[in-house]
Amino acid sequence: MQTSPVNSRRSRLLRHESTMAYWLISPAMTLFLIFTIVPTIFAFFLSFSNYDILTPIKWIGLQNYERLLTDTLFARGVRNVAFYALLYVPIIIGSSVMIALALNRKRPGMVIFRTLFYLPSVTSSIAAATVWTWMLQKDYGLVNQGLAIVGIHGPSWLASSDYAMYAIVIVTVWQGLGGNIIVYLAGLQGIPAYLYEAAGLDGASPLQQFWYITVPGLRTTTFFVLFMSLIGAFQLFDQAYAMTQGGPGYATTTAVYQIYSNGFNQLRMGYAAAQAFVLAVAILVVSLINNRLNKDADLGT
Amino acid sequence: MKTRNKATLLLTAAIVGAATIGSMGKAQGPTEITLWGDWSGGGEQQVLTMVNAFNAAQSKIKVKYVVQQDVITKFLTASTAGQAPDMMIWDRFLTALYAPKNVLAPINGYLTKDKIAQSGFYKQALAELTSQGNLYGLPLTVDARAIFYNKKLFKAANLKPPRTWAELRSAAIKLTKRDANGKLQVSGFALDDLGLFSMWIKQAGGTVLNADNTKTAFNNAAGLAVLEFWDQLLNKDKVYELGFGKGEGNAQDPFVTGKIAMYYNGPWSISGYKKYGKDLDWGVVAPPAGPNGDKGANMGGFGLAITQASKQKDAAWEFMKWWLANPTNALTWGKTSDNIPGNLKAVSDPFFQKDIAWKGITDTLKFATIRPAVPGYFPMEGQALVPNIQLFLEGKQDAKTALQKAQETGDRLLADNAVK
Repeated sequence: MQTSPVNSRRSRLLRHESTMAYWLISPAMTLFLIFTIVPTIFAFFLSFSNYDILTPIKWIGLQNYERLLTDTLFARGVRNVAFYALLYVPIIIGSSVMIALALNRKRPGMVIFRTLFYLPSVTSSIAAATVWTWMLQKDYGLVNQGLAIVGIHGPSWLASSDYAMYAIVIVTVWQGLGGNIIVYLAGLQGIPAYLYEAAGLDGASPLQQFWYITVPGLRTTTFFVLFMSLIGAFQLFDQAYAMTQGGPGYATTTAVYQIYSNGFNQLRMGYAAAQAFVLAVAILVVSLINNRLNKDADLGT
Repeated sequence: MKTRNKATLLLTAAIVGAATIGSMGKAQGPTEITLWGDWSGGGEQQVLTMVNAFNAAQSKIKVKYVVQQDVITKFLTASTAGQAPDMMIWDRFLTALYAPKNVLAPINGYLTKDKIAQSGFYKQALAELTSQGNLYGLPLTVDARAIFYNKKLFKAANLKPPRTWAELRSAAIKLTKRDANGKLQVSGFALDDLGLFSMWIKQAGGTVLNADNTKTAFNNAAGLAVLEFWDQLLNKDKVYELGFGKGEGNAQDPFVTGKIAMYYNGPWSISGYKKYGKDLDWGVVAPPAGPNGDKGANMGGFGLAITQASKQKDAAWEFMKWWLANPTNALTWGKTSDNIPGNLKAVSDPFFQKDIAWKGITDTLKFATIRPAVPGYFPMEGQALVPNIQLFLEGKQDAKTALQKAQETGDRLLADNAVK
């Protein structure tokens, strides 16, 4: 069959567009290749060596991975971040959606509130952690003084192995909210207003509108936020390092802290590379499960 | 017009001439050496005081100090790229990890050549700069934790600084104050750094590691004595709560505000307390002795080291010798930077011996010893010992279990990190 002139012109245009697209993404992709893909491949090879940065590399086969099987500290670090993710991810998604909904209303002065909620995200995590350390003190901290007003006797947050991880969840949620709120705000803008109008005409309550329009409308946004927060959660490091140094006990030691310590404090780069790969696989597995669950949820609707 | 052209020509000639002379001068000019360190802000000024004095005192060598954040990581990458500086302000405890990797230059030959006796320096500080029989630098600063105490609170309670564990305990009990609701107001003894176990166990007559530093040696009566004493202080006498006063610094420092009556601190806090504690009447004394009269303290601090990659090791050595082996310069360094130098003659100066704060530290340094100089020591302390002690003090495990678990994890970390 002969292609119509219209079609051929369109495909030429498309071809032109796709060439342009490759040009446009090539700087980012080149950097990604040089600074992410290539080092990752290097690291994979180094995980089979005793690389210490300073002396010549010696290949030691699977020794690093063998040692990892009995590395209770690293296992504890992975368990800790899994527990952390279980708390952090639902909380950050729930609160980001709620706050984004509130900030999405057209009211005077909303810009100020949007800025205020974003502020923690631009604070240095170490500086913020230091201030929080002070605020989370048992008797003199602002948090417990606030709780005392409503009659709750707050714990010694950072000095107790039972509460330290919750303290870190609080601080990281506070700091992570801003970015996710922005993503959700963008998501909310993408839901066509006529859907709400139509629902309103049909007599749907605001709660029904939320469940049947907003939630499905934000599905892709939520998937993205879920994905990114999960990965971020598994990479927890700064706050745990600055506020509790992994303690008390082993309550807040994290996988990335173990990797950092082995690589840079102990110059066991080969071993650290092996740990990093195991963590990467763990993140991949969790992400795949997440992906699968989301697909199933889609089929259900 | 003509004169102007002539003038231009003359000027050009002059410039060319000057440039030639300049470049000739450069060819025979001073050897430039670079010193890296992470001392910034006030610390940078302190280092520059000595660098500038050296540059002014002679013309053959010109030293440049470069502040590097995260200096060790930068040193790592620079070393692999062959771009390492000539000298480093060196955190001494890193010697055990780095020296066997052949990135530092031994200085034994220089000491012999210039007839500089090792006995002129703190022996323990030199030991921390030594690896496999080679010396890798001279001590720049020495420090040790000692008892900082609030004289006003001690006077009010009619107490003297403690000389034994028993006196420490009874003083701590008397100094601790709580309000009607049991809220801690003054901690009699802030036991805030569990990493100091390595010091306490010496006072209890033990050691952290065995004689050849290959295995832990705290799972015994001495280790138990420390844990039981701490449990007594924290959980029974309740003289401190973990986290009390954390996050408060400068003018709000809990020692300055009188929230902490006594605790272990180091010389790095002295200048701050002199500055922020104008109304604070305080003193420093050496750590009290343990149940059997054993004394124990930990020495730490910085050194100066020459890198193996340096092409001007001789010049670097000249600078190091001028700064640290010359007692007058070492003393100037100590006074201008509020640091105790590693040079014993300099430390014998009244500046460090008459002042009540400095004297407490220098008294401590007389018997202070370094932490075991093996690469696995700090991972062992941070990831095996301290976490298990924390769990013990929280009541999550008993003292014997804590020491047993710390030993198992600790021995493993020592073996993992041992020099092969």
